[in-house]
Amino acid sequence: MQSERLYRWTRDLHLYFGLFVSPFILLFAVSVFFLNHGKLPGRLQTRSETFRDLRVPDGIDRLQGREAVNLAREILPQAGLTGEIGFLRVLAKERHLVFPVSKPGFEATVDVDLESRSAVVTRRGTSWWEALAYLHKSPGPHNVNLRGNWFWTRAWGWLADTTIYLTLFITMSGIYLWLAIKAERRTGAVLLAAGAVSLFGLMYAVIR
Amino acid sequence: MPSSVRSTLEAWNRRLHYYLGLTFLFFLWLFLLTGLLLNHGRWAVAQAANQRREVKLEQAIETPAGDTERARARDVMRQLKLVGEIDWPSTAQQPGRLSFNVSRPRDASQVRVDLEQNRVAVQHFENEPWAVFRIFHTFSGSRFNLAGNGRDWILTTVWVIAMDVLAASLIVMVLGSYYMWYRLKQRRRLGLLALSAGVLSCGVFLAGLL
Repeated sequence: MQSERLYRWTRDLHLYFGLFVSPFILLFAVSVFFLNHGKLPGRLQTRSETFRDLRVPDGIDRLQGREAVNLAREILPQAGLTGEIGFLRVLAKERHLVFPVSKPGFEATVDVDLESRSAVVTRRGTSWWEALAYLHKSPGPHNVNLRGNWFWTRAWGWLADTTIYLTLFITMSGIYLWLAIKAERRTGAVLLAAGAVSLFGLMYAVIR
Repeated sequence: MPSSVRSTLEAWNRRLHYYLGLTFLFFLWLFLLTGLLLNHGRWAVAQAANQRREVKLEQAIETPAGDTERARARDVMRQLKLVGEIDWPSTAQQPGRLSFNVSRPRDASQVRVDLEQNRVAVQHFENEPWAVFRIFHTFSGSRFNLAGNGRDWILTTVWVIAMDVLAASLIVMVLGSYYMWYRLKQRRRLGLLALSAGVLSCGVFLAGLL
């Protein structure tokens, strides 16, 4: 009786969690094809615009890391931008501050002239495929201390984590549900073993 | 559709769901766990993965043979016993020089050849085990935003095919599961709620509405 209840709960959670994460799994799976085989056209169309009389936070060129990024974020709304700042580059001699801003479907480079308090924003709308790839790779391993400086990057990171944990649950519960079908145990075990041998064999070949 | 055909199709759809799931279970676990590592750079294992052992060497080589830069790079790799995927720099090669990187999950080398002196300088990096594990997630030999870099190591191609097959299998499993759910009349309402929550939260980001 108890095992029947466990089976039903597991089956239902497998179904509902699976349905919730399914759009995310589709996004991650479809974007794999672009990440593995896609190429951007050689010449990308960009648009540049100059913004003047900006309020540039004091000392932005002397700070580093997250503190500097937090100050740079104050410039974004003045240039009509939202998104994640990738990194900051201070050109001390020229008194310029350059940084990329991106979000799904959009990327820009902001070049701030600290002397004249003006900025040239070069922007580009990205393709749907690039937006998929952006989300697939976000938040990612680079510039860990700066990453998540935009709220929605952090939110996507939480959703990506949720997708991983729920998918782990779905795979474990899937094993339990498969084992409950006695007639399929042998075929399933062969396929499971074949998959394991393929993966570990391939990994061994690549790293030996 | 006759009910016998439908029930056969449904039985196979169900089988396909768990057959694919079982076949690619370990592949999926690999990509899930490495995905966590990639997104959590502050974790101790991720920090450990960032450590690399570096070795520098400089030596004389035979004149690299070949008509193309790729052929000459391959000949240099043969002489140095380097194996892996070739990455070309984004800028053009300087006259009398040949620069390229060779990488695979275990290690990576920056190779700088002086074609006039027939000398090579190599900066070689050995990755830590966690880094090797993590690199499998991204090891495709191709970057969509970098023209001119294509796959040229057979094992990269095989690995990419494995990634493609996993991705295609996941798509098939998800679409098949929608049908299985649709056939469960009692679970349609709650299922629709779960699916809508997923579509909405994912779609907001995808549509770039933020």
